[in-house]
Amino acid sequence: MAGPELVDVAVIGGGPAGLAAAAEAKGAGAGRVVMLERDERVGGILPQQIHDGFGTKVFKEALTGPEYSAIYEARVNERGVETWLKTTVTELSRDRVLTVRSDRGIQTIKAGAVVLAMGCRERTRGAIGTAGTRPAGVYTAGAVQYYMNVSNLAVGRKVVILGSGDIGLIMARRMILEGAEVVCVAEILPQPSGIAGNIVRCLEDFDIPLYLNTTVVEIHGKERVTGVTLAEVGPKMGERKGTRRFIECDTLLLSVGLIPETELAIDLGLSMSPATNGAIVDESFHTSAPGIFSCGNVLQVHDVVDYATLEAEKTGIAAAKWAMTGKLPDSKINISAGAGLRYILPATISGEDAIDFTTRPWKEEHDKSVVFKSGGEVLRRLKMPHMEPAGMIRVRVGKGRFRHVVNNEITVEVED
Amino acid sequence: MKSTIICIVCPVSCPVDVEWTKEEVVLGIKNHLCKLAGPYVESELFDPRRLLTTSIPVDGGDWPLVSVKSSPPIPKDMMLEAMDEITGVRVKAPIKVGDVLMTNILGTGCDVVATRNVKSV
Repeated sequence: MAGPELVDVAVIGGGPAGLAAAAEAKGAGAGRVVMLERDERVGGILPQQIHDGFGTKVFKEALTGPEYSAIYEARVNERGVETWLKTTVTELSRDRVLTVRSDRGIQTIKAGAVVLAMGCRERTRGAIGTAGTRPAGVYTAGAVQYYMNVSNLAVGRKVVILGSGDIGLIMARRMILEGAEVVCVAEILPQPSGIAGNIVRCLEDFDIPLYLNTTVVEIHGKERVTGVTLAEVGPKMGERKGTRRFIECDTLLLSVGLIPETELAIDLGLSMSPATNGAIVDESFHTSAPGIFSCGNVLQVHDVVDYATLEAEKTGIAAAKWAMTGKLPDSKINISAGAGLRYILPATISGEDAIDFTTRPWKEEHDKSVVFKSGGEVLRRLKMPHMEPAGMIRVRVGKGRFRHVVNNEITVEVED
Repeated sequence: MKSTIICIVCPVSCPVDVEWTKEEVVLGIKNHLCKLAGPYVESELFDPRRLLTTSIPVDGGDWPLVSVKSSPPIPKDMMLEAMDEITGVRVKAPIKVGDVLMTNILGTGCDVVATRNVKSV
């Protein structure tokens, strides 16, 4: 076998994060940048997301997914990133040797820096353990989005959607527009999982009912789905007796969450965050393994692609810097999430630069503040008129604020 | 008059408080994080519109479908009627983002514009 291909930066994944990281790594001066994508096309899920709402932060206008993707695809091509399509990374070692499989066979790549940008996948029926038969007609919402918007295939006429994640809401509208009947959306939680804007334009615009505290307890049908049984759940997610009802339908769409595709990161033994299910990173998106970086949905599931892009751009620049100099700012200040917040990212910072922190609250809050504190003193207080678990919060803290950090510890919490 | 309208321009979904007169003049808005909320809220009160996005089959392209949008957004209550107009239309590759594939749909002044590049094969 030939020796390994030598590259400066290898980006694993050609979705929105991979595209932005690769373009910026090259733009920052890295010599050879290779983006490895297992699909036949780049863009990840964007080419199938034909609805609008992408780009409002980066471009200050609402683009569709394919338009947004096309901008970054053109950028990587113009800058001279090598894109290897239909290429799957099967192994990654701590010394940054990648084993890849494609129609050229098995190859190895030795990279100066590696960016993990593998994105996430949908939770399936198996992951949520629904009882009943195993008929055709049960799909994840993203799979149906691909069938309808890319492959030109219809999947059903009368649909129930389980889970109110954004893709499920978007598909409720999409199926109505294409002539199907959407009977209802059932959500096991007491609040929608998708963002409020999608409840308005995907459900309320078309009078589709949303049943909260409700789930599918049984799927019916032998060859094809003939219906589902819905039931209400109590505060501890147990089924409430006497609330079962049968709903006739031929299709069940699942929009029940996303799982970061972290297999390569776990195999490497990277330090992982139980709150995000992604790697723990510093302000350069550098993981616990030297020269290995992570960004986009494999790091933390985003609900706004713009934020994934911005995060990936910083990651690409940092990866290029590492590949060229082996140096990054020393992240010695620990950041921890306190009351009211599920997590805070990055986990460590240098204090030498302004940082865009990302976080999510545990519950919906109004007129609160996100407060950065060190040694009992407030470094920064940011007013939040409205926070909800479905909406990632991205807040910038200027470097001047880090001058008064005590014992290299910052805590971030929600306060009145 | 007063109301709270959820801004749908971006995923942040600001719940915007708005106050307006019966002459359809907006007196003020609050609780929004960016400038895009103002024009949206005004339109939602007096002329509600949506960007209609769908797809049209392509002959001879590297994708079977070209994704499209209404440009500008069409009146909200005409979305399903517009879908009926679009259904049955086919187009030929190549197509570039921004190509106008149908004009003045249902007399609304809105065009149907490609949002995906489709190469000939």
